[in-house]
Amino acid sequence: MHPILSEKRIFGLYLVVWLIAGGLLALLLQSAGGVSLTDALVLAVPMAMIYGFMCLASYYLCRAFPFQRYDVVRILIVHSISSALTSSLWVSIGRSWASLISQINVFQNIEGQYSQEVPLLLAVGISTFLLSVAVNYSLIAFRDSREAERQAMQLQFHAQEAELRALRAQINPHFLFNSLNSISALTTADPPAARTMTLRLADFLRKSLALGNKNLVTVYDEVDLATSFLEIERVRFGSRLRIRLNIDEDAKTLNVPPLLLQPLVENAVGHGIAHLVEGGEISISATRNGGRLTLRVENPCDPDGPRNRGHGIGIENVRSRLKTLFGPEARLETTGTPNSYIAEIVLPADSHQSAPLSQQKMQV
Amino acid sequence: MPAIPQNLTAIIVDDEQLARTVVREHLSSHPEIEISAECANGFEAVKQISELKPDLLFLDIQMPKLNGFEVLELIDHAPAVIFVTAYDQYALKAFDVHAVDYLLKPFTRERFEEALRRAVSHVGKADSSVQDLVREVRNRQQPVERILIKEGATVRVLAAETIDYIEAQDDYIAFHAGGKQFLKHQPLAELEPQLDAARFVRIHRSYILNIDRLSKLEPYSKDNRMAVLKDGTQLPVSRTGYDKLKGLL
Repeated sequence: MHPILSEKRIFGLYLVVWLIAGGLLALLLQSAGGVSLTDALVLAVPMAMIYGFMCLASYYLCRAFPFQRYDVVRILIVHSISSALTSSLWVSIGRSWASLISQINVFQNIEGQYSQEVPLLLAVGISTFLLSVAVNYSLIAFRDSREAERQAMQLQFHAQEAELRALRAQINPHFLFNSLNSISALTTADPPAARTMTLRLADFLRKSLALGNKNLVTVYDEVDLATSFLEIERVRFGSRLRIRLNIDEDAKTLNVPPLLLQPLVENAVGHGIAHLVEGGEISISATRNGGRLTLRVENPCDPDGPRNRGHGIGIENVRSRLKTLFGPEARLETTGTPNSYIAEIVLPADSHQSAPLSQQKMQV
Repeated sequence: MPAIPQNLTAIIVDDEQLARTVVREHLSSHPEIEISAECANGFEAVKQISELKPDLLFLDIQMPKLNGFEVLELIDHAPAVIFVTAYDQYALKAFDVHAVDYLLKPFTRERFEEALRRAVSHVGKADSSVQDLVREVRNRQQPVERILIKEGATVRVLAAETIDYIEAQDDYIAFHAGGKQFLKHQPLAELEPQLDAARFVRIHRSYILNIDRLSKLEPYSKDNRMAVLKDGTQLPVSRTGYDKLKGLL
């Protein structure tokens, strides 16, 4: 369907434009042809309205001959011929109208005057048709570019969504194999401990799968998952790994995207505790400060150890997820001294049951 | 499996106690192999290996202080090595390239016996594949961020940015840092390409300078200049060294 006919408001506006065009044509007839204003109006306004409908045809012509696929000469020829034909048809319709109204006494001069104005009307008809062709081409170009933009955005959304799913599904193989090795060791050395470890691992995997399938979880869920993770790592590291939790009561029920905290904790173990002979304490805190929620993981590290502390893939993934989900509203900052490392997420404190805006969009 | 002829000694190096327990358990059916030490970190490993000179070495890769490759780099004694690791894509690739045997945690008894049999057959024989592997790993980690220097049985770790300048002394390299001097047995030419080229410049046949420490350059003779460091130390600059400095400053 024609885009102008498909929406009532646009169609109304279109008619008003042609009504004004009719008025202008009447003024032209009055000034150039010496027709009286009443006669000119009676003649021009209905003719303009009719031409308004006739010019709609140019849209289909523009669609049939897109700029991208035809050369300029061919397009010019097509539109020249069609504008001449349309204009001629219009002028002859106008002639019928003129002879019809000249039956009325007051307008008896119109038919005669009309014959004199035919060249002028033909010229106006051709130029108006060509103008509508130009308008249609720009309209089509505008719509095409909007459509392309929309498709590109949709594509990006799908890509980001796919990435998020992949991230959520990702469990560090190093962690998994080390845990299995611990179980293998405990099987003969301490069978009850082997069973406990197996159950803990199952519990952790189940929790991370469950959280990963949601768009939002509570801070409590996140801390719970991170604690499960650390309990398993504690079997490997023994007394080298110590944990301190500092979770504000009013932060516990806040909503956050899932699996933000666990990668930070994993980084704290892998790049911090694992490099310390005596180990150390990982401190996890969640605090609410008005409209902001701060999640913070701090760990000691070896001043002589490898320098790539903050470049863990997990940290980068969290950073890019925060950017996708919150834009400038959230950030992940990492700071450190030679002996310690801090990763801190600050994001909007969301206490509602609704999903963040970007996630709602992605669910469409 | 064929009987192992003579009594052998072994050291187990892993920062996880449970992982050491598994190796110990598997070795318990081999009374001919005596476990002379268990080490939980790289420093301890270098010390014990140097002192006890074991025939066999069960070596984890990711450990505190020094990783498994760094341990091998620092020991003069060459035991037959069995690498034991959980998951390390990069290391596994390096093992395959150099046909070095390794155990992937968790491993079966059969796999353990197979690795042990191979390692035992290497005891006392010169095997260049492990040394090739260590060299490749070291070259991959350029530029080096820390210099490892063995002092007797202990290891000193020198962060690259703390080094003022490096001086060639016959077969040794002297690292000068904060007024102290540390010696390492290594040719200067081997070290130079491993350093961060944006920071360290070979200003002379015998000197590499950390350009952060440079205060000014003074003319010395027709073709030569003198680099004056912030602490007042003066070092000779050759003509090519001067060209390199100009390119960086």
